[in-house]
Amino acid sequence: MSSQTILLVEDNPDDVELTLLAFRRSRMANEILVAWNGEEALDYLFATGQYVSRDVNDPPALVLLDLKLPGLGGLDVLRRIREHPVTRRVPVVILTTSDDEQDIVNGYNLGVNSYIRKPVDFSSFVGVVDQLGLYWLVVNTRSPV
Amino acid sequence: MDTAGDVIPAEHDAVAATRPRPTLAAGTGGFRPFSRGIGLRLLTLIILFSSLVTLLSTLSQLYIDYHRDVSDIERRLEEIERTNLDSLASSLWHVDTDQLRVQLDGLLRLPDVEMLEVRETVGSVANPLVVTVGGSHGTSVIERTYPIIYDDRGTPRPIGMLHVSATLEGVYRRLLERGVVILVTQGVKTFLVSLFILYIVHRLVTRHLVAIAEFLGEFTLHAGEALVLRRRRPPARDELDQMVDAFNDMRGNLARAYHDLREANRALVRDNEARRRAEEEVTRLNAVLEQRVRQRTAELEAANAELSSFAYSVSHDLRAPLRRIEGFGQMLQEGYVEIIDDKGRHYIERIRAGTREMAEMIDSFLKLSRSTRGELTVEPLDLSAMAADAVAKLREKDPDRSVGATIAPAVTVEGDRKLMAVVLSNLLENAWKYTRRADAAAIAFGVESRAGRPVYFVRDNGAGFDMAFVDRLFIPFHRLHKAEDFEGIGIGLATVQRIIARHGGRVWAEGEPGQGATFYFTCWEGREPGEQPNDPAGRG
Ligand SMILES: Nc1ncnc2c1ncn2[C@@H]1O[C@H](COP(=O)(O)OP(=O)(O)OP(=O)(O)O)[C@@H](O)[C@H]1O
Ligand SMILES: [Mg+2]
Repeated sequence: MSSQTILLVEDNPDDVELTLLAFRRSRMANEILVAWNGEEALDYLFATGQYVSRDVNDPPALVLLDLKLPGLGGLDVLRRIREHPVTRRVPVVILTTSDDEQDIVNGYNLGVNSYIRKPVDFSSFVGVVDQLGLYWLVVNTRSPV
Repeated sequence: MDTAGDVIPAEHDAVAATRPRPTLAAGTGGFRPFSRGIGLRLLTLIILFSSLVTLLSTLSQLYIDYHRDVSDIERRLEEIERTNLDSLASSLWHVDTDQLRVQLDGLLRLPDVEMLEVRETVGSVANPLVVTVGGSHGTSVIERTYPIIYDDRGTPRPIGMLHVSATLEGVYRRLLERGVVILVTQGVKTFLVSLFILYIVHRLVTRHLVAIAEFLGEFTLHAGEALVLRRRRPPARDELDQMVDAFNDMRGNLARAYHDLREANRALVRDNEARRRAEEEVTRLNAVLEQRVRQRTAELEAANAELSSFAYSVSHDLRAPLRRIEGFGQMLQEGYVEIIDDKGRHYIERIRAGTREMAEMIDSFLKLSRSTRGELTVEPLDLSAMAADAVAKLREKDPDRSVGATIAPAVTVEGDRKLMAVVLSNLLENAWKYTRRADAAAIAFGVESRAGRPVYFVRDNGAGFDMAFVDRLFIPFHRLHKAEDFEGIGIGLATVQRIIARHGGRVWAEGEPGQGATFYFTCWEGREPGEQPNDPAGRG
């Protein structure tokens, strides 16, 4: 049985907290691991740095990616994920406040699975997270690694 | 000024080049009548003609003289017959030879008589008496033979013959002498008269012709003296005067014409100069304009880039904190019901509402900024179909309302599909929204022709508005209706206006409170009908 961990890449603690709240609200039991920046996310995914002891061949079930990160940007992280054979098929959902057309196009060009703009209204956000988890973690059949 | 400086000397050269160089005809002055045409020819012709006349008159004169001389001689011979035959007969009768010889000698002295012979013809005398004086030399002679008849007491007896021969030599000699004299005198006279005529002609005509030729040779339009002939004025104006006058008139005309020409030329040069300067000015202005356009374009691009990045950061950076306020507000509201009283919950609710409203405004603002950015993709659009789509969406969203929608068929325009759809949906959405209180809500989309151009419109019979505030309709976040009556942010028409402006058109509105409103728009107004449209603002 492969990992059910969700990797949340997000730099703002408030947003992390709200996202975690939303997940709790939608009653999803998955373990959520927070990477506070792009580098940390890559360390986790490729088992380097502080995550060196991790099994590289056990990628997360879902990556939730913010675009605006300090240092390495969200799109760069996405590119690295898609370049690596182990993480190539991991579902990645961009979860961001921006609805800039260029960002959306770039995201899809780099092979993102969904592009979700976080609604301001918290209830709506909970609804989005609900659907997201339902789709990517329950309905969607994961590709065998 | 170089153009002017170039043209005028060139024109001077041209004048100099076309001015006739002084030729033989006007080379030197003075009287040399035989050295040139008219004098010599005149002299030759006069001499030839008067020589001919002289010759003919001399010949006729000589002819007359000849006849007179010959008849003189004949008369003289007849005289001899009349007066001398009797005495000769008597001498012959008496056979007085001496007497005969004396008599004949006497007759021989008569002018031109060359030879006389008396021959006896009586009976059959063996050797008849013959007395001869003189002798015949030439061939041109007049001969006469007269019978000598002796009157022997009343009986006339022919006793001999008188033979007279007169020569014409003398006549010829005299004729020759006379002819020579006549010819010489006539010739001299002719020559003198010819010379005189020649002199007169020279004085009266030729030298003036030469003077005129010289004047013409030296003639330029700039040296301003008139032609004057140096001569005694004839009592009446003659042909030379006419010629001089005509020439002076012509000179005046020429000078005037030349002056006019120069004026025209100068005007032309001035015109050229002015045109050249105007062209330079135009070129310069064009360059300035181009420079300015480049500068403005650069500024515009910079401003657009700034706007883009601003919009980007608005969408990211302003929205994120709003989300947090809203999210935590909700957490507070839901998780702390027991701690916070009703009033507190109300405040929290207001905070959340304000936050949502602000988020909505930010979204509208982003939509507006997007409508003025990016490249236009202009293609032929079926506005009727697009309007029908928009109305269908409105019905779907608001199925409880019954709104009559009239959409004119086959309304087309060239434009950007996405942006024109935004225009139509905004206008129709307004019409839909502001007819909410109308009894029988009716909205319409169509096109009418004004001054040969299509004007598109969206009309409704809803709330309408006060025309006094018509200008505010298109200002972002400006609303004419209260939010309690009709919800909205006030960005729809501002967006419409920007999109229509990018399509080279205008948008305006007409309305009356309670009577409904009509929104008009045009596209590509600066263009001739049929011309390919392009984006007036380019990128951004
Ligand atoms: N069909 C209409 N009849 C009467 N008033 C209108 C009509 N359309 C627009 N208006 C007036 O013009 C104002 C501006 O319209 P606009 O579409 O820009 O904003 P809105 O409709 O209020 O909000 P939104 O940004 O959601 O469209 C409106 O508030 C309203 O007062
Ligand atoms: Mg509106």
